[in-house]
Amino acid sequence: MVDKRKAVVEDDDDEEELRTGQGAKKQAQAALGFRKKLKSDAVILASVKKFSETAKDVRQETRTLADLNLPHACKEVVDLNTSSVVLEIERSILSIAKSILAGNGFGYSVPARSSVNQLYVPELDRIVLKDKASFRQFANISSVRKTAITTRILQLVHQLCTKQIHVTKRDLFYTDVKLFQEQGQSDTILDDVSCMLGCTRSSLNVVASEKGVVVGRLIFIEDGDRIDCTKMGVGGKAIPPNIDKVQGMESDALFILLVEKDAAFMRLAEDRFYNRFPCVIITAKGQPDVATRLFLKRMKTDLKLPVLGLVDSDPYGLKILSVYMSGSKNMSYDSSNLTTPDIKWLGVRPSDLDKYKIPEQCRLPMTDQDMKTGKDMLEEDFIKKDKNWYKELELMVKTKEKAEIQALSSFGFQYLSEVYLPLKLQERDWI
Amino acid sequence: MVQADATKAKLGKGSARDATLKLKSPAEFFAENKNIAGFDNPGKSLYTTVRELVENALDSSESIAELPVIEVTIEEISRSAFNALIGLVDRERVDAALYDDFESDKAKEKRLAKEARDQLKQAKALAAGKKVKEAIASKIGKGRGDTSFFKVTCKDNGKGMPHDDIPNMLGRVLSGTKYGLKQTRGKFGLGAKMALIWSKMSTGLPIDIWSATKNQNFISFCRLDINIHKNIPNIHIHEKRSNTEGWRGAELQVTIEGNWTTYRSKIISYMRQMAIITPYAQFLFRYIGPTPDKNMTIRFARRTLVMPPIPEETKYHPSAVDLLLVKRLIADTTKQDLFHFLQHEFISINKSYADRLIGEMGPEFSPKMPVKSLSDEQIVRIHQLFRQAKFDDPTGDCLSPAGEYNLRLGIMKELRPDMVATYEGSAQVFEGHPFIVESGVSLGGKDVKPGINIFRFANRIPLLFEQGGDVVTRTAMKRINWGNYKINQAQDKIGVFVSIVSTKIPFKGTGKEYIGDDISEIAAAVKSALQNCCIQLKSKIVRQQQARERLQRKRNLSKYIPDVSRAIYEVLELMVSGHKSKRQRYGVEYQEMLDKVAGREVTEATIKQKLTQHVQQVDSEMALEFATQSGMADAVRDTIYLRTLDSKRTFAPDLHNSVCVLRLFSGL
Repeated sequence: MVDKRKAVVEDDDDEEELRTGQGAKKQAQAALGFRKKLKSDAVILASVKKFSETAKDVRQETRTLADLNLPHACKEVVDLNTSSVVLEIERSILSIAKSILAGNGFGYSVPARSSVNQLYVPELDRIVLKDKASFRQFANISSVRKTAITTRILQLVHQLCTKQIHVTKRDLFYTDVKLFQEQGQSDTILDDVSCMLGCTRSSLNVVASEKGVVVGRLIFIEDGDRIDCTKMGVGGKAIPPNIDKVQGMESDALFILLVEKDAAFMRLAEDRFYNRFPCVIITAKGQPDVATRLFLKRMKTDLKLPVLGLVDSDPYGLKILSVYMSGSKNMSYDSSNLTTPDIKWLGVRPSDLDKYKIPEQCRLPMTDQDMKTGKDMLEEDFIKKDKNWYKELELMVKTKEKAEIQALSSFGFQYLSEVYLPLKLQERDWI
Repeated sequence: MVQADATKAKLGKGSARDATLKLKSPAEFFAENKNIAGFDNPGKSLYTTVRELVENALDSSESIAELPVIEVTIEEISRSAFNALIGLVDRERVDAALYDDFESDKAKEKRLAKEARDQLKQAKALAAGKKVKEAIASKIGKGRGDTSFFKVTCKDNGKGMPHDDIPNMLGRVLSGTKYGLKQTRGKFGLGAKMALIWSKMSTGLPIDIWSATKNQNFISFCRLDINIHKNIPNIHIHEKRSNTEGWRGAELQVTIEGNWTTYRSKIISYMRQMAIITPYAQFLFRYIGPTPDKNMTIRFARRTLVMPPIPEETKYHPSAVDLLLVKRLIADTTKQDLFHFLQHEFISINKSYADRLIGEMGPEFSPKMPVKSLSDEQIVRIHQLFRQAKFDDPTGDCLSPAGEYNLRLGIMKELRPDMVATYEGSAQVFEGHPFIVESGVSLGGKDVKPGINIFRFANRIPLLFEQGGDVVTRTAMKRINWGNYKINQAQDKIGVFVSIVSTKIPFKGTGKEYIGDDISEIAAAVKSALQNCCIQLKSKIVRQQQARERLQRKRNLSKYIPDVSRAIYEVLELMVSGHKSKRQRYGVEYQEMLDKVAGREVTEATIKQKLTQHVQQVDSEMALEFATQSGMADAVRDTIYLRTLDSKRTFAPDLHNSVCVLRLFSGL
């Protein structure tokens, strides 16, 4: 009780100072102090280069489910070429047609994608799908709708693959709005279908609309066009929804900077951060979509670069990192293609709030919902496996404070690109 | 001896003080604090007057186990008619600006301009073909001018009042010196007396009483008002009139200031809810307005002849008394010694327990000591022990709940719901007072709004005000998960009925209009009663949903047949469109089918037909299963008529089989 009151009093003092301008001065001093700590870019670069090379040297041992001999049978999907997809679809259609003609109606055996059928595999550091499946019958009032939509999607995908064209999920939905009713329904069934056929969603020639952007020292070829991501202006290059058409990645970057938010991305792109420290900057503007995750995975495997994550200091930011690293429950059947393990948490970490003297008014109290998410995450294997990460999250839950990347702007809009990140790189302050 | 004398003197002094308090307080106290008795404003006063009269009438009929027949009439009297009534000359307003509702020239100009604008707007809207709401009548003369005068009459078939007792029964306000404890309708024990005080305060007119007891050959007529300061009746007329029809009962007529417009809906819903909780009574409610077109008559018919028993008077539970009450009980008791006092004036204390209690009180107490000689300190000790000692809970025998049967009939009669479930909980105890919670939950019905409609009853009278904080409202809104019982809280028409009876209802607030949510015993009892109702409803709802589903199953399944058939056929068609040799790769078992598709033997129509057949088959299987599960209850029933046999009939030879024998008429 006493402590609490004391804390409040102190808070008041701080605010008072800031209001009088004295505080602002103090803050500016702090910023200057950090700026002074910075060594010359060349020194920082050398240090980062060393780190980058060690990352490159680490032999990528890709373990698969098959190597593990897990007690559970697991369901995983693979990339299939279009003709195999066509064949798979035709086989299912043939078998149901036969069943119908024999007067038995029909149904599909669809792998269950609910959370009880999910499993986190620590050895792989990602979520996989167990092999539980449910049989959806047409002549059952509760499953008739899903069965009908599945049949229609199968036919549409069959058409797409035969014609070798790609459409977005939205396009797919609009081909039969009357049946699908809302896009959520066709999207869910689409995931069911790819699970059922055992292929990735991109193999079905259905893609999500563009969401992620990339900028920086990266050159690749998309459908025959050479794309230089240093010449993409401030907005960056939209990540192509169809990863198959991306080839020949080249880069002289030292690391990949994964940014949670559009605003921070724009700041870094405009300040041409990637020219000062050779890097590739990528963002999915919040929760990552499939295309961005595929792209990141591709960059990581092709270029063998370390990935540094810059997210908000709140449970949601960590959630986003976890999706990049160990996959989402919704797409767990394809986690092997979508996850990029070994992302370093650069910032903004709960311990940074005090370390970088982020002023009180930029910190926000965590809501009840935040607290609940935070406490739930403490229980998750994904956090538990790394002691440092666990400590950081524990600190967050203990202080009940969160901050966005933008909190750094209180020292000046360019503080992020000019002081915070270089300092982080210099001190190799990531976990 | 000395000590005893001192106590006596003290007591004597105390009672003398009490007497002066009694004389002064009741009538004047309530006149000054009329809001706590429900006379906050003219509108509410009209409402409270009606309810006090109705509740009095019900009590009177029930006390002689007679099914109540009650007629309530509210007659509106305009100001001029009222003036004529009291012999006042109606005066024209001379100085218009003197009055509150005076309209200055400027205001008038403004109003006229606004009306003109509104008219223009309406005309435009009309021209555009829009529906126009009735222009709201401009309110002139609001404020006190809106209230007018009402003659409220209530007639019952109760036991009537003895001729000589009438003035004292109505014209004197007595404080609650009731001995013992009883479940009663009234909240303050004031009844019609408060209406009398209000009439005295607002109109100054006396009240009229007609009354006749059983087998009485005259009707007592009494016109009286009350002398508030002296708390004595002021009799105008008190006479015997002829009773040729052998009428029994009482009729009260009181003229008061009131407001019908604002409290009309409250008065009507009060009558309606009273009809729900009292389905064995017949109510006739009449309103006579200033113009005939506003008249209304509502009749609430009797639905049952079963009346709950009259609540019994009971003694106090030791844990329910306070110090003052202990003193009063000691002053009033006829028992001589402490032992008998304890044994007879309280429930849950028997002989051996009385002994043990006296033993526990200390050495200065003995069973034989005269109870009237106890010192103040000793009484405090007894009271403390009552608080600390453990006693058996009082039983609910003294309570008279409406009964599940009556509650159910009341709900069905007034709401005509699609479904109703009722439940009566067992008696429970709060602070030494037993209580019983009864509840009903209904779905659907006439004049029921979608969502939760709450009907609260305390000691079998409806509670209409301050619903928000009530334990029933809170429980129904927050603590019942309606979804669990397949009830949609937002869309279904849910009626929630909770009736609580107790020897003491723990009301909250000055108006005694709601029961607080902070009493966990009552909250838990209400919750469990409602849950029990919901559980009963759930099975009904599920069965109904299944039946509905059964009807729709075929249609819902068939709806998707065209989509599916087309999709399947399109894929098949695409497959056979290529070269014939390609078909080999699908395997031999599909060869024949693909050939048929290519040869147009199997088309979209074939698939459609096969699927339809399958759906039909599944549907009939399911229907059969449903029928075997739910038994024959839902089978179609036909009325059959049996004819009495007479000797004229002749029969064909009996047909025997393993189950029964059939005998058929011959020669028909």
